[in-house]
Amino acid sequence: MTLSLVLQAIFAGVTNGIVYAFVGMGLSAIFKGSRVINAMQGEFAVIGAMTTVLLLTKSGWPYPAAIAGGVLAGALVGAFIEVAFVRYMAKKNASEDSFLLLTIGLALTLSASILFFIGRDGHLLPPIGGEGVLLVLDAVIQFHALWLIAIGIGATLLLRAFCHRTTVGLSMMAASIDADGAATTGINVGRMRTYTFILGGLLGALGGILVTPLISVDYTLGLNLTLKGFAAAVLGGLTNPLGAAVGGITLGLVESLAIIGISSSYKDVVAFSVLIIIMILMPNGILGRAGRRGG
Amino acid sequence: MQSRLLWIAVALVIWAALPFFVPRNIADLLVFTGIYTIAGLGIGLLLGHCGIVNLAQATFYGLGAYASAYCTVMMGLPSIVGFVAGAAISMALAYVIGRPILRLTGYFLALGTLALSAIASALFFEWDWLTGGTLGIGGIPKLNLFGFVLDRPSRYYFFVWIVAFACMAAAHNLVDSRSGLMLRAMRDSSTAAAALSVDLQSLRTRVFVVCALFGSLAGSLFAHHASFVSTQSFGVDRSISFLLIPVIGGATSIPGIVVGALFVTFLPEFLSKLGDIHQILFGLALVAVVVLLPDGLMGAFGRLRTRLAARQGNHAR
Amino acid sequence: MPANAILALKEVGHSFGGLAVLRSVTFDVPEGGIIGLIGPNGSGKTTLFNIVSGYIRPLAGAITYQGAPLVRESIQRRGTAGLVRTFQTPQVFEQMTVLENIMVGCTKLTRTTMLQDLLRTPAARGQMREIRQRAEAACERFQLGNLRDLPAASLTAGQRRILEIARAVVGEPRLLLLDEPSSGLNAQEIENLREWIVRLNEQGITVLLVSHDMGLMTVARTVHTLYFGEIIASGDMAAIQRDPRVREVYLGV
Repeated sequence: MTLSLVLQAIFAGVTNGIVYAFVGMGLSAIFKGSRVINAMQGEFAVIGAMTTVLLLTKSGWPYPAAIAGGVLAGALVGAFIEVAFVRYMAKKNASEDSFLLLTIGLALTLSASILFFIGRDGHLLPPIGGEGVLLVLDAVIQFHALWLIAIGIGATLLLRAFCHRTTVGLSMMAASIDADGAATTGINVGRMRTYTFILGGLLGALGGILVTPLISVDYTLGLNLTLKGFAAAVLGGLTNPLGAAVGGITLGLVESLAIIGISSSYKDVVAFSVLIIIMILMPNGILGRAGRRGG
Repeated sequence: MQSRLLWIAVALVIWAALPFFVPRNIADLLVFTGIYTIAGLGIGLLLGHCGIVNLAQATFYGLGAYASAYCTVMMGLPSIVGFVAGAAISMALAYVIGRPILRLTGYFLALGTLALSAIASALFFEWDWLTGGTLGIGGIPKLNLFGFVLDRPSRYYFFVWIVAFACMAAAHNLVDSRSGLMLRAMRDSSTAAAALSVDLQSLRTRVFVVCALFGSLAGSLFAHHASFVSTQSFGVDRSISFLLIPVIGGATSIPGIVVGALFVTFLPEFLSKLGDIHQILFGLALVAVVVLLPDGLMGAFGRLRTRLAARQGNHAR
Repeated sequence: MPANAILALKEVGHSFGGLAVLRSVTFDVPEGGIIGLIGPNGSGKTTLFNIVSGYIRPLAGAITYQGAPLVRESIQRRGTAGLVRTFQTPQVFEQMTVLENIMVGCTKLTRTTMLQDLLRTPAARGQMREIRQRAEAACERFQLGNLRDLPAASLTAGQRRILEIARAVVGEPRLLLLDEPSSGLNAQEIENLREWIVRLNEQGITVLLVSHDMGLMTVARTVHTLYFGEIIASGDMAAIQRDPRVREVYLGV
């Protein structure tokens, strides 16, 4: 094992980790706001990425506009799912399992829709910041990866500011902590739940767009990303979106360091084993914050 | 009571006559319905009586299938060895993994089992010395029952369904038994069940082991039917479709499992005539069932029947 | 500790997040007795109750049950040893019938393996028959016979309470822990409940009763008064009601 190999693995881990962090932050935001584990969170990423690909290649939009379009598509789908399904089922006091099955069904539908309307081919986006690479001690680092890290940090800080500084963010936090209490102060709890789904869709889509220059995105990617995002969120304590950011990067590092020298398909084995072990041994996540509720 | 016996007799006649009147592809689907019923029964026990969402059944299904394939093709052993080996491995694995993982509850347990399925599917792919990887293992012999070779779907149909009926009887026995009482108590109030000395942890683990046994049995039956197994059959998507069987049919009802298995095997087949859009329609059908019929088709049927009965009762008065 | 104590608490203490809720609580429950525990809200009654039944592990002190240390035993083991509790809000199995609820209470008296249950072996069938017979007898004994096939969800609060007690008693407990059994009941139902407690006690079941219902509490031979986690008075109900400290802190006089 050489130093450059380890360094390469660390960079790969951080870049993958940021993508898991985005999916995990979205999942965690939705869980915090609605107590629904969104088993189609990974599909948001696929939707975001595919929309961007189509806008860029088929409609000829400039790259930044296409990215904005992709993020918007994720947010819209998030809002649609809350208004069309979650709201109705919440009114009927559906069980936890029903919400899980609902989102699994939606994940199947969306992935089948992508297969039907777009096809089974994988798609790549051009890297942000150009094709260039940086050499650090023989480890190859794409410029895109640096951009990804910068955007990841920026988005996490923005999310933090949004939750703690803005009226909407504070209302969402209040509604998620104590729905009845928030309702008595005039907060529209139902609308806040819609906002959390929009936020979840937005974060998921952004994660998907950012990963597409590195991994080719096709209709099967959603489920895998959902599980990785869930692992990230659980590592971070599940109800803490910022914890999910830490969790995602930890997961990315663990899986990329664990597979140095062996086949890369053990990556998933490592990641999912970590998920199971963390859930059993550290139910409050690696940050040790309380607030996890299983059911 | 008599009308019930009559219904059962009619159903049996239809069941026995069916393979002789339907085309081969339908007979083939009916074989799959039987196999899926067996796998679904275990998940139904967990979901309906323990409140556990098991998204790992494809793991045990795969273990059963690979055990049968490996024992018969690679080692030239009789098929019964494959069945027994698959069941033993699956039950042992379910016990070892079940004890820690069943301490989780709710979403965490559901996603824990999903992660388990993802791990297993990656390992099936990776351990190609055992599983043949994506190339798979072919040439699995048809079952041979005392010299009678079950080589056509119509013949295998009877064998599979007799096994399925035996499994249904076993599941029915379990629900009706002392263990069944404790299971239902645990589902309704685990706190009170514990106060009455019901050992929740051990009970959940044992049902998980039974579920794995059914899964493995179904997998072995599948291997001998398809005569070829590869990683594609044991992925996470298969675990999800197994879970749909009790969800769609109704988890607490044994006929509901058959209905769910019919739904999962036949609906995609019929929808596929509509072209590639069928997967979308299948997903939407699932969403519709979850949203509109929270206790499955059998649950909705039961509610309809009580409503009709109540109306008739009102008329009588 | 007197030789005939079925349960003995010695200097039991507990706190939540640094706030002491029980301070060095010591008392015995004599075999065959009815012992009451009263105290205002927040006095530590429920915590003590949860400690004895195994839902909370105490931070200090020792408890012996039938002469053996109890604190490390699981809830289930306590149950099989004859220590059974009811809940402040009756916890019936709502989707099961009244008879089935009581049958669950009998399950601990027999053993079957899951394989026997799957195959419905003669042993499993025999045990199920025995469970059913016991439960049917208990159903009659507790005057639940005409409700036996109704789902427990349809019962009134009073019926649920009786069902919960029947379910506990059918498993042949030696020490029955009743947590606020009169809450939610009307006067007639409380009177019934009182009779039941006396009758079960006559049949040899020791009762530990937690309540703030002074009327019901008169069934107890000895009553301990908890106040801020400490026992401030013990004696029969008449003595307790005369005790100046109890009158001051509890009755507010």
